[in-house]
Amino acid sequence: MTNVSVTVNGQSREADVEPRTLLVYFLRETLGLTGTNVGCDTSTCGSCTVLVDGESVKSCTMLAAQADGRDVTTIEAMAHGDTMHPIQDAFHRNHGLQCGYCTPGMVMAAASYLQENPTPTEEDVREALEGNLCRCTGYQNIVKSILDAAGSMSGAPETTRA
Amino acid sequence: MLREGAMSVDYLAPADMAAALEMRGAGGTVLAGGTDLFPQHVGRPMTQPVIDIGGVQELRDIVDTPDAYRFGALARWADVADTDLPSCFDGLRAAAREVGSVQVQNSGTIGGNLCNASPAADGIPPLLSLDASVELTSTVGTRVLRLDEFLTGYRATALRPDELLTAVLVPRGPDGARSSFRKLGLRGYLVISVVMVAAVVAASSDGRITDVRLAVGACSPVAQRLPSLEAELVDRRIDDFDAAVIARHLGALTPIDDVRATAAYRFEAASVLVHRALQACGSER
Ligand SMILES: Cc1cc2nc3c(=O)[nH]c(=O)nc-3n(C[C@H](O)[C@H](O)[C@H](O)COP(=O)(O)OP(=O)(O)OC[C@H]3O[C@@H](n4cnc5c(N)ncnc54)[C@H](O)[C@@H]3O)c2cc1C
Ligand code: FES
Ligand code: FES
Repeated sequence: MTNVSVTVNGQSREADVEPRTLLVYFLRETLGLTGTNVGCDTSTCGSCTVLVDGESVKSCTMLAAQADGRDVTTIEAMAHGDTMHPIQDAFHRNHGLQCGYCTPGMVMAAASYLQENPTPTEEDVREALEGNLCRCTGYQNIVKSILDAAGSMSGAPETTRA
Repeated sequence: MLREGAMSVDYLAPADMAAALEMRGAGGTVLAGGTDLFPQHVGRPMTQPVIDIGGVQELRDIVDTPDAYRFGALARWADVADTDLPSCFDGLRAAAREVGSVQVQNSGTIGGNLCNASPAADGIPPLLSLDASVELTSTVGTRVLRLDEFLTGYRATALRPDELLTAVLVPRGPDGARSSFRKLGLRGYLVISVVMVAAVVAASSDGRITDVRLAVGACSPVAQRLPSLEAELVDRRIDDFDAAVIARHLGALTPIDDVRATAAYRFEAASVLVHRALQACGSER
């Protein structure tokens, strides 16, 4: 067993895990944070996207042990109580999801991207989402949601913790 | 479904280079960004201890030394894309932005791309066109190999089991050289290359080519330079030569038929991309 100590959504969490435990299973099974989904076994789909030290990574392509000492943000940190994060709210208003499976990964990828570029073009958003696949929406409304969120977030106070 | 990191072995996290080399000497699989390693080990457990070199800080830096640019093996594609470098690196930086997606660029490293040695590795053609070398280090010492000597075949390298790739070294190129990278995939995003081409071109003030280096990937087990075409292009004007000359110099390529494209298509595409890569170096002068 390996001892890992990770700051997850602002709280320090520590556990002994099998060295082979992937970060996504540490989050889902050890910590019970099941908002992060697993959609493939080829590191392709991006539904497992979380932020590590503020940057988007695929949590299925990283060991929990590799996150030791680092800061992880998952979809659970986005809403404050009943108040959705502006990106979540924009997905809601623009029908940015159907089944919702890809959505946590989409929201986290968008959150990290909008930190970097708060005023993206449509093309920028499509490029930023190339690592996130959706089987339902055809992407149109996802892109629309993120552009809408960018609009409502610019000028607004910092809302993501990453 | 991928359940676990597919290993039931020790996980080692050396904090510095000395410890990393010691552990590697004792035997183990190196883990850098994991973006090649984890997908390859789904359902195929690793049998050796895993040495996570992510904690070795000195492997992360990209530095400008008197004779060469030195990319630490752990420089991630996101770092390469974001670092301010001279124009001869534009092709490498463009390739960095084509590796997978943002998430893959935030994890995947230059050293991992070279050690994995896929014929479709996007980092290889730009580094071949830059005459790059690799620094290989073990507890017994350091050696430097030219990248074309390091890459010995399909997914094969000259890396010894006790060595780490510690840096990629790029000698100073001709002043003001421009460079470009063109990748063809079957769709626009997140795609394995069908063909990719990297070019570095230096030209005189009247637009004549004084130095040109071209490399083609995904058309042979190891990406290749095109020395005879390079020789033929010197002294020509970059914006004015018969593109038909390109096809005559692609004889060393041995593309295959596979699910992504036929060999004939790859030849055709290689010829077109070489032309476009050269044009890109000529434009905006
Ligand atoms: C969804 C997805 C898309 C991708 N798209 C592309 C693409 O478009 N183009 C492309 O070129 N690649 C692509 N890749 C492959 C991969 O991301 C790159 O090759 C990346 O640069 C690998 O680096 P890494 O640090 O993740 O390597 P790792 O997976 O950590 O290691 C790869 C191999 O190299 C060895 N190794 C790593 N570092 C060292 C070292 N310093 N010394 C000795 N041995 C070492 C490891 O033991 C392993 O065998 C993609 C991968 C994924 C998952
Ligand atoms: S589960 Fe598909 S990329 Fe991680
Ligand atoms: S909403 Fe179903 S996969 Fe995207």
